Amino acid sequence: MTIVETQHATYTSLRPIGELDANSSIYMDEKIGTMIPDGKVNIHIDCSDLTYISSAGLGVFISYLDDIQKLEGKIAFSNMRESVRDVFDLLGLTTLVPIISTQEEAANLFNK
Amino acid sequence: MKARLKVYCSISNLPQIRDFMRSNLREMEVVGKVSEQIVLAIDEACANAIIHQHSCDGCSCIELALYRDNEQVFIELKDTGKAFPIDTFEPKSTEERIKCHQRGGMGVFLIKSIMDNIQIEQKKDYYIFRFMKNI
Repeated sequence: MTIVETQHATYTSLRPIGELDANSSIYMDEKIGTMIPDGKVNIHIDCSDLTYISSAGLGVFISYLDDIQKLEGKIAFSNMRESVRDVFDLLGLTTLVPIISTQEEAANLFNK
Repeated sequence: MKARLKVYCSISNLPQIRDFMRSNLREMEVVGKVSEQIVLAIDEACANAIIHQHSCDGCSCIELALYRDNEQVFIELKDTGKAFPIDTFEPKSTEERIKCHQRGGMGVFLIKSIMDNIQIEQKKDYYIFRFMKNI
């Protein structure tokens, strides 16, 4: 699993490439785990190259969500393919985290 | 005819399990959303067995069998030891998990959401999960 990090003015974009499962989720866990102590709590997950996600992958985001919200940060997702979006839907996550469509939406969301 | 796969209990073998499921479902003309959901459910069941039943012990194995009968797909997961009571386990809601930073339990929730029937056959030294999905 490769994760491409891009720093924007008010948020950090992470673009995971490949599959996020019980085996590879440790890399996302390590990445977010090092960002939060650095104060990077506005996180945009660009899912355009994410081909699969299991509960272990989603569990990483869920486990940090409360910490991020307490630090007045946000985590938002974009560009999900249908099969990835379906996992979010099955777990009811689409109503709990922002799903955005464009870079402009990300900038607006994290500027609030 | 059943398609079969036997893999060692390493989470690095999960992609191999998903490839086995995808390619055989495609051969059975099960494609699209239903195929991806079945792949996800079996990935979750295998990950649970590998991590929780075997502590990722790469010397032990789990076995999968997959077949289609008319408009139903059947998957059997054979494993040693005592079966996790997947059919009676009640997972927490996603909101509760967020509050207590809990990662576990979502796999079972997904399996139960996706599969139309789950049966457990417990033998002395092994068990078999039998999953059925209407297509």
